Amino acid sequence: MPKGYTGKILHVNLTQGELIIEEPEEQFYRTYMGGSALGMHYVLKETSAGVDALSPENVLALCTGVVTGTPISGQSRLTAVAKSPLTGCIGDSQGGGFFPAQMKFSGFDAVIIKGKSPKPVFLWLHNGEAELRDAAHLWGLTTGDAEDKLKEELDDKRIEVLQIGPAGENLVNYAALISMSNRANGRTGMGAVMGSKNLKAVVVRGKQKPEIADPDTFKELQKWGTANLEATGMDGFGKYGTPSVTTPQDKVGGLPTYNFNSGTFDQAAEIDGVKLYKERLRGHERDEQNRFGRDTCFSCTVKCKRVTQIDEGPYKTEAKYGGPEYETIATFGSYCGVSEMDAIIRANALCNMYGMDTITCGATIAWAMECWAEGKLSAEDTGGIELVYGNAEAMVQMTEMIAKCEGFGKILAKGSRKAAEIIGRGTEEYLITCKGQEAPAHMPQVKRSLGIVYAVNPFGADHESSEHDGSYKAFPERMEYIGLTKPQEKLALNKEMMRFAMVTQHLFSAIDSLSVCSFIYGPAWQLYGADKLVEVVNAVTGWDVDIEELLEVGERRLNMLRAFNSREGIGRESDTLPKKMFKRPLEGGRSDGYALDEEEWERALEDYYRLCEWDVETGHPSLKKMESLGLGWVVAENEALSQVVS
Amino acid sequence: MQINLELMGPLVDYLPDSECGQTKMSLNDESTIADLLSLLKIKQRVAVAVNGEQEKEMKDLLKDGDNVMVFTNVSGG
Ligand code: SF4
Repeated sequence: MPKGYTGKILHVNLTQGELIIEEPEEQFYRTYMGGSALGMHYVLKETSAGVDALSPENVLALCTGVVTGTPISGQSRLTAVAKSPLTGCIGDSQGGGFFPAQMKFSGFDAVIIKGKSPKPVFLWLHNGEAELRDAAHLWGLTTGDAEDKLKEELDDKRIEVLQIGPAGENLVNYAALISMSNRANGRTGMGAVMGSKNLKAVVVRGKQKPEIADPDTFKELQKWGTANLEATGMDGFGKYGTPSVTTPQDKVGGLPTYNFNSGTFDQAAEIDGVKLYKERLRGHERDEQNRFGRDTCFSCTVKCKRVTQIDEGPYKTEAKYGGPEYETIATFGSYCGVSEMDAIIRANALCNMYGMDTITCGATIAWAMECWAEGKLSAEDTGGIELVYGNAEAMVQMTEMIAKCEGFGKILAKGSRKAAEIIGRGTEEYLITCKGQEAPAHMPQVKRSLGIVYAVNPFGADHESSEHDGSYKAFPERMEYIGLTKPQEKLALNKEMMRFAMVTQHLFSAIDSLSVCSFIYGPAWQLYGADKLVEVVNAVTGWDVDIEELLEVGERRLNMLRAFNSREGIGRESDTLPKKMFKRPLEGGRSDGYALDEEEWERALEDYYRLCEWDVETGHPSLKKMESLGLGWVVAENEALSQVVS
Repeated sequence: MQINLELMGPLVDYLPDSECGQTKMSLNDESTIADLLSLLKIKQRVAVAVNGEQEKEMKDLLKDGDNVMVFTNVSGG
């Protein structure tokens, strides 16, 4: 058997309490590689059209990939897929830390979960064995407390726990899966899906380290990574983390501010990532942030995770809840006009304690703040909380109320699109959602090909599903390796940029199927380029894949996600950007006056469809495309899909 | 000539004594962007904006009074 994976997939039926281990053939692993593609295989097979995202019939797949758990940077990631309660489309979310590697050591590549347990349970995977255990005593606990209890109960400090917090139990539509109390499979509400099944946690521990087919080459690749940290700038990225892009984004007019009405924040210096490192990271008083204020994922030399701690005051925060990423700083910060770093740190910690996506949570509050500014919301709606731009206290208070589904928080817990439907009064004008998912902190007005990917991405706006525009010009050698040799001018939205969007989307899609970190492996600035990704996969598995094969895996996964939506009757009409991006020019900074041109944008969208071989009228994948990717079975097995795909 | 220099994000470490990566810097006349980067000992690939204009080339000449911003090429996060 090829190396790297355990060959075991666990099927859990929570209704019956049934656990079955499947051992698929090698070809299955080579076709899907793991992560999102592997999970989608089961979601498409085992759910029917129109399934309710929060019903027992929804299937939640938690999947590692063929290289997870091997000692090299950027491999410890887990992908969750299921129908999303936030969007009604397919949901998909990645998260890192130590859980994914430990899940592999516990003897399983993936867990496919369906049904609903009659009472709260947790799933305990250890050295190839699986059991469901009572979790009544854990229900209602914050992630930190539940993790402590589980460590005590199982008498093992080295277990890893992937769990829902109270927000998942309360079915907040963007509840997350949390591990280590600070890593999140944040997006698309996978925590609510798990909560609806009465599954509190998956707990893993084991000693089954994956074997490596070619240890010598693998060692060389490890060494290459360490030797190239400085040349690729990944040492600085690790030190200052993703928050280090905050000020640069602001300088180029790409820092979403006041709910995406501006690309520049006049208080950006207050929420800067270097400032966060120097003045907030744990250990900063003694200049020992590198030791106490940074954290990592299993075997990753980059160590980009933040650790913050606030000992007293209203924003008191425990170190175990980590520290904010750039996305979190932007959504709770500039989106809301908030410049108090401590408030952002606290809001981040609340999301990790209660288990919520920081992007959707911060962006939903920012949307409510714009509604307030436009006179569409008042204290009467919010129970007296003044949702004024810049009100840090209200932002933090609302975050907690959302997690607990209290007062106005109950409405915002549905996400901004559903909240706008409930409130009415024209509040949908202020939405920044694609397919009902709030846009992350990169602006389609500034990064235009990324804007198309926001719109077409099957699980809604996402910033880690393709390479961003500027990289085409900046990394010509790495781009050439994936067949991209004609870099275009800034803001271009022509056919070549659509090819760039699609090809890099296929690569990121392969990355999400291998379930590896897109800061470590990618087409441009990342530590390892696509060439090295191929080498890592081959060194671990013993296969002989080339880049074309990896790109095809990515394309296969993208079409599986897309087919899921097609089956739900969701197609081109949902591939849009928020109205305000066309209608309302940005104000201030380098992007002052930027707005998208509807005609140019629609033309680009059609170019993208043609490149993908999707129907230009409907946006559905063509039968020919599905068959060429070995996905004929998806159409054949799904009546509703066969009616729309031709 | 003298330029106003601002290093962004992690690049601040190339100017450890500066205020958040900002400083005035004297350069020989006819210096290019590449000369500036080699003076700063920046080895990684970066993007440079001069007086707000982005995507400048390494061979481009600098002139007295220019406002120069140097960025890393990290674009996700
Ligand atoms: S780069 Fe950061 S997020 Fe990615 S694996 Fe390393 S520590 Fe984890």
